[in-house]
Amino acid sequence: MSNGPISQSTSIVTRRYKHGSVVYFENDKSEYIYVLKGGRVMLTSRKVDTGEEVKEEIKPGEFFGVKSSLGKYPREETAQTIGETVLLVLPLADFERLVLQNVNVVRKMLRIFSNQLRRIGKMQREVLDQKDNVNPAEELFKIGEYYFEVGRVQQAQYAYKRYMEYYPDGPYSAKSMQRIRAIESGSQGGSGSTFDGGGPVSAPAAPVHDDSMDLTDFSIDEERPSAPAAEPRGPMSDFDMGMDAGSGVAGEIDDFFGSSSAPAAAAEQPKQDIAEIFYEAMSLFSQENYADSLRLYTEILESKNLKNEAERKVYEKASFEIGRSYLKLGKFNEALAAFSDMIKKFPQSENVKNALFHLGLVYETVKKPDKATSYYNKVVAMEPKDGVNKLAAKRLATIQGQGK
Amino acid sequence: MFLDAKLFDKFGVEYSPGEIIFCEYEPGNEFYFIQGGRVKIVKIINNTEKTLDILEVGDVFGEMAILEEQPRSASAIAMDHVKLLKFRRENFDALLQGNPQLAYKLLIIFSKRIYDAKRRLMILLLEEPQLKVMDVMCMLSEQDPHLDLQEAVTLKATMQEVANWAGMQVGDVQKILTHMNQLGKIELFTDKIIVKNLRDFQRVVNSRRKNMMS
Repeated sequence: MSNGPISQSTSIVTRRYKHGSVVYFENDKSEYIYVLKGGRVMLTSRKVDTGEEVKEEIKPGEFFGVKSSLGKYPREETAQTIGETVLLVLPLADFERLVLQNVNVVRKMLRIFSNQLRRIGKMQREVLDQKDNVNPAEELFKIGEYYFEVGRVQQAQYAYKRYMEYYPDGPYSAKSMQRIRAIESGSQGGSGSTFDGGGPVSAPAAPVHDDSMDLTDFSIDEERPSAPAAEPRGPMSDFDMGMDAGSGVAGEIDDFFGSSSAPAAAAEQPKQDIAEIFYEAMSLFSQENYADSLRLYTEILESKNLKNEAERKVYEKASFEIGRSYLKLGKFNEALAAFSDMIKKFPQSENVKNALFHLGLVYETVKKPDKATSYYNKVVAMEPKDGVNKLAAKRLATIQGQGK
Repeated sequence: MFLDAKLFDKFGVEYSPGEIIFCEYEPGNEFYFIQGGRVKIVKIINNTEKTLDILEVGDVFGEMAILEEQPRSASAIAMDHVKLLKFRRENFDALLQGNPQLAYKLLIIFSKRIYDAKRRLMILLLEEPQLKVMDVMCMLSEQDPHLDLQEAVTLKATMQEVANWAGMQVGDVQKILTHMNQLGKIELFTDKIIVKNLRDFQRVVNSRRKNMMS
């Protein structure tokens, strides 16, 4: 941690220490924060688990005593000088003024704190005998299974949907889809299922036909109390289409009956909630049935009158996914157009980087390495750094290797 | 609140009771400030959902996502109608630049979290269940600097909370607390525990801890 523009503050004291002086003892309480200006300072603490002594030397310009001052708890270490040492002593208020002028200092500290927190968390898990080397995808699915088994379907639904969102090609995607549908059909009045009619409830692997959702199926819901109007929902529940109040499907049913005096208008209503179509499309994609996934994504992109933020988000995701289906089908021009359109229409989308990466992939596939390289380079430089950046870097390395 | 009300227009999200805000093991890219309602932090351990914490207005959660993308270590579920400010990692830098007060607040929150996590680890590392329960009470007393430990102290905690802190089954904690109650060491209520001589608990725990370390 480097210090900021210290000279600007006024009430900060410079203090000189002889060799071996104790700046503070473990368990002392104090609100002062120190910056090492000259000389050396050694911090001595004990490991929480073994009691082993740990020594850490402070580098010139670094802060120490920060956490305990900020958190207002006793010092966790003893600070002692080595040789003649000069320290700046800051009351908490001055420290605050200082860091407010230099957000970068705060960021560095946050990073260090966050690492410490992770380390402690890891130790806690070890003591509680929780395994650390787990596969998050599988565990996420298992969370869904836990809630499903205890009958808390709303929460189960959330976990399955997240699984489908993050791991649409994962080993549990078919199972997750199956659960999502089972929960949905359960919520449609218990006994039977509105979604049975032609729709593959328990076997999402089967191809789905456009007319699988006959509108007459909805008649079963006539006796159901009308569902509450769909509320605007947080983006975290973008894909919520299930159990709870405000379910998209339920809303649509209401719409349908509400406009029953105008059957022509009703016929134009989408037959399924678009979020549901989206999941079906993802499921088909994961089964390498790209023609059908393409057809469903197209259907989503043709739908008008998006009802809420959640549907808009699905639309946005479909705009990206349709490009992937085109790419898999070898329809490169269409894929290029789809990814470019998506970036134009949704420049703020979290999928922009991924779309750029896919543009690179398309160009690489059609043997235009220069264009591919320029897209990959863009991706590599983009924040936040994640798996897509790594993939792009990998592709760049491959292209360079081939060029030699 | 220390945050600008206008922030809610831009970053506000709302959840109904029972709704999951995020789920254990899903990738984490957002962190949250609670503006209204309560949020339960839970984890599924040995096929049981355990409540790790209950957070209220002014609290922050999901903060580990600020600096790195890692799977969530626990789930967050709305207990009431919950209002949150939700920030993404990508706009974190911009957010800090525009709101240095927020950065400072986060620094304080992290400092406290680290201390609390270490303190909890110390409890978990004790071997005997009785000592764990006693140390939870010591820890609870440390959270209120105004307590006079010369006298009987009142700790606001339920058996379930003590069990969560100690990483124990509530049934086991109940046995221990009931026994202490019978011995006159504590008085047990549904929502609080009165400890007659907390100093005594501290002595016992500290001497045991010293033995462990030597």
